Amino acid sequence: MTHAKKSEVLQGTLDLMILKTLHALGPQHGFGIARRIEQVSRDVLQLNEGTVYTSLLRLMQQGWITAEWGVSDNNRKAKFYSITARRSSLP
Amino acid sequence: MDNVRICRLRALAARLRGLFQSQKRDNDFDEEVKVHLQLLVDRFVAQGMSQEEAADAARRQFGNTTLLQEDRRELRTCVSVEALARDVRYALRSLARSRAFAAVAIGTLGLGIGASTAIFSVIENVLLEPFPYKDASRMVFLRIHDTARGEEGDRQGYTANEFLEFAHQSHVFDGVIAASGDLVLYKQGEGVEAFDGADVTPGTFEFFGMPALHGRVLQPADYQPGAPPVFVIRHKTWMERFNGDPRVLNKTFVLNGTARTLIGIMPPRFGWYGADVWIPETPVPGAATGVAGLTRRWFLLGRLKPGVSKAQAAADAMVIANQLAKVNPQDYPAHFQVSAKVLGDSVIGRFESTLYTILAAVGLLLLIGCGNVANLMLARATSREKEFALRAALGAGRARLVRLLLVESLVLAIGGAALGVLIAWGGLKLIVAAMPQDFIPSESVIELNAPVLAFTLAVAVFTALSFGLAPALRAARRDLNDPLRSSGKGVIGGFGTGRMRDTVVVAEVAGSLTLLIAAGLLMRSFAALREVQLGLQADHVLQSLLLLPEDRYKTPAQSRGFFQPLLARVKELPGVEDATASSALPPYGGEDSKIDISGKSHEYEWHALVQQVSEGYFHVLRIPFKVGRSFAEEEVNDARKVAIVNETFVSSFLRGEDTMGRRIKLAALATPADPASEPWFEIVGVVADVTNSGLQAPVQPEIWIPYTITGSGAQVLMVRSERTPTSLMNEVRQAVWATDAGVALALPGALEDRISQRLYAGPRFSFLLMAIFGCLGLILVTIGVYSVLAYATSRKTHEIGIRIALGAERADVLRLVVTAGFRLVTAGVGIGLIVSLLLGRAIEAELARGVKPYDPATLAATALLLMVTAALACWVPARRAARVDPMVALRYE
Repeated sequence: MTHAKKSEVLQGTLDLMILKTLHALGPQHGFGIARRIEQVSRDVLQLNEGTVYTSLLRLMQQGWITAEWGVSDNNRKAKFYSITARRSSLP
Repeated sequence: MDNVRICRLRALAARLRGLFQSQKRDNDFDEEVKVHLQLLVDRFVAQGMSQEEAADAARRQFGNTTLLQEDRRELRTCVSVEALARDVRYALRSLARSRAFAAVAIGTLGLGIGASTAIFSVIENVLLEPFPYKDASRMVFLRIHDTARGEEGDRQGYTANEFLEFAHQSHVFDGVIAASGDLVLYKQGEGVEAFDGADVTPGTFEFFGMPALHGRVLQPADYQPGAPPVFVIRHKTWMERFNGDPRVLNKTFVLNGTARTLIGIMPPRFGWYGADVWIPETPVPGAATGVAGLTRRWFLLGRLKPGVSKAQAAADAMVIANQLAKVNPQDYPAHFQVSAKVLGDSVIGRFESTLYTILAAVGLLLLIGCGNVANLMLARATSREKEFALRAALGAGRARLVRLLLVESLVLAIGGAALGVLIAWGGLKLIVAAMPQDFIPSESVIELNAPVLAFTLAVAVFTALSFGLAPALRAARRDLNDPLRSSGKGVIGGFGTGRMRDTVVVAEVAGSLTLLIAAGLLMRSFAALREVQLGLQADHVLQSLLLLPEDRYKTPAQSRGFFQPLLARVKELPGVEDATASSALPPYGGEDSKIDISGKSHEYEWHALVQQVSEGYFHVLRIPFKVGRSFAEEEVNDARKVAIVNETFVSSFLRGEDTMGRRIKLAALATPADPASEPWFEIVGVVADVTNSGLQAPVQPEIWIPYTITGSGAQVLMVRSERTPTSLMNEVRQAVWATDAGVALALPGALEDRISQRLYAGPRFSFLLMAIFGCLGLILVTIGVYSVLAYATSRKTHEIGIRIALGAERADVLRLVVTAGFRLVTAGVGIGLIVSLLLGRAIEAELARGVKPYDPATLAATALLLMVTAALACWVPARRAARVDPMVALRYE
């Protein structure tokens, strides 16, 4: 039960971290975002990378970000997320 | 702030879309996950792991994909409609598996919800929305209150002149109308029938704003001098008298000697002034006389301008009334106040508290029902511990479990509500049949309508929450390990939830006792009413109102010309002992009048009731004389100024003085069109007190005078015979028509029946409903106590087996269980008694005089009844426990 509570606190934080990542690096796929967060938090933050996708979906639903299929660096098909134009004036 | 709102809207829209595209989205996501995992594997391999190690590590780092998929689905769909549907399906399946539980729960809830729905629909239709008229809450009438007297001195009828003054001078109304009762006779078959008519002023139908069902309503043109006479009929009257035949429209009827065309039939809920027919009439100042020479009175109704309060209206009317009082001082008390009352107050004042008391009782019943179901759920939850622990272990969150259980409760409650609506539908028919008709506005139709059904639904949700929440939270809070470890019906596991169930039982017992005490008190009160000494013998008396055509019966001589031969004819009928004419029917005693007594002066006004009778009155009703004698036949026929008074009159005005030969002046007789020139009456007799203001009110001073003094003296015929009154009816009717075929008989029947029907109906209604609810409550509590004990005993079978094996006697076991049960019942009874005493005030207004809310006999009897029933409920499980075979019990696990 306590686990559920912790992850809820994390969700909001995670949303923000993702937004900052996209703001700093431009369009990214989920893997890229996970790497960036890992790097920024200097491995202190051990997260199930899957939860990134829950955050992404939530942000998409609220209109903060959009997604489109593209091709990754190593020629794989991947979904790229980017901050919507109107929303990119983040602090 | 705005941004947040937009975010929420977008999310909602996305969720709605999500309902329809779930398949494609799921595939997309799978693809994404696959890519992500592959990238992770690539990375780990690059770091030097083997392919297999890398795949494992990638999955670990990514987390549980199934859970993720679930989360995403929840995010995508509205309040997870899918999950809800799943929960409902699951709840239905699980309830279908335990049918007995479902049946008991739904039955219990159905009773509670049904009873409260039925009572609420009465309240909705009678108290909340009784009138179908627009702005009914702004329709007020004025009442003149004599500050020196009680409510019985109030006046709400006004002369035509007063009506016109109020209508024209008032600033607070945007419309004023009036109605005046008008007895309407018309020839039908061999005799004469009567309508309860109302003369209505111009603008009446515009005021209420209801169109006719068939034909049209009265229009301004119908009030013009020389306009063809017309009238409008009430729906109920049309159905009863003419079987709803539309062909009567535009037919002509001779009403009170005038040929009038029926131009309109009103919709069912139009019932202004409770009349059968509405006749146009323009009040003319100065035209004083109405029925039988009495001053005609109009009941007036005004619609307040928007924003005007009742107090403002009363203040405005007070100014006008003060002017009127200067012109006509005899119509106004020395000190008075004008109050404005809403239309609803004219009918429902007294019934209101009765209905709310009953609603409270029903609410209590519903709570007892909820308590029962909560206990059943708790017991069920205890035996489902393993199931929930397993679910939790498989990843169901706490919220998820609570929701599952709440949905199950809701399914039960909805089932209960469906059953409840059926019960309410049937119950309403009973209630309407038992309801005192005069207590409700004629406009209100008691039915199950949309607001009532909405109420039922709200109650269902409320009950689901109230009985379902506690067990659900409890089940969800459980530690996973204990239930899984223990091997089934454990020795320890069962006692954990005991205290909560006990509390519920104690509360139930307390609630049920409160209900029973209320029912008991109302029963006592009803019995006390039946025992009220009326002071007269109502058995073997036939009574009927006689409706005389006004045009032919105006003077005392005309009235006597009818009654004298009629009484002679009736007395000759076989079996008839005596007959009398009277101006009032027991237990009411005629009109109120200001009085003076010769040789007595007094500071305040003296009032007494004046009843006009023929010489046989005291003999017919067996009213004993204390002093003096009854009227002689000649005194009545010659209209001598003689009077008989009651004992209260003597003790109020002539205590310790000589009464015989004293003279009384009756002010009321000075005003009619044919004033008794010298209204001084000589007392010739004193009779014992007879109830004369209804059953509950104290006896008022009363004076009887010969009916021949005024033209309106006699309206009632009462006949005492050896035969049953109803068998006499036809012969009396023939005698009436033989005297004058134009006279109608209204409400013929046994006096005894009339008194019990009309006067006991209100108390009987409360008592009947309360008794039914009390019994239902008792049954529910019995089930409740039984089920808790039975459950606890079955969980303790193992323990009991060990006790018996170790040498406990069966009596010990019996005592163990019964004591456990009785501790709860006694606690409940104690609390119930305290609550009842505290609530006593609330019910006091409903009780007859002399019955106290702390009536010890009632308290003791109901508490005992509850204890005995509860003892039975304890006994059955206790016996079962005592019969436990230790060997079987020990092998049980």
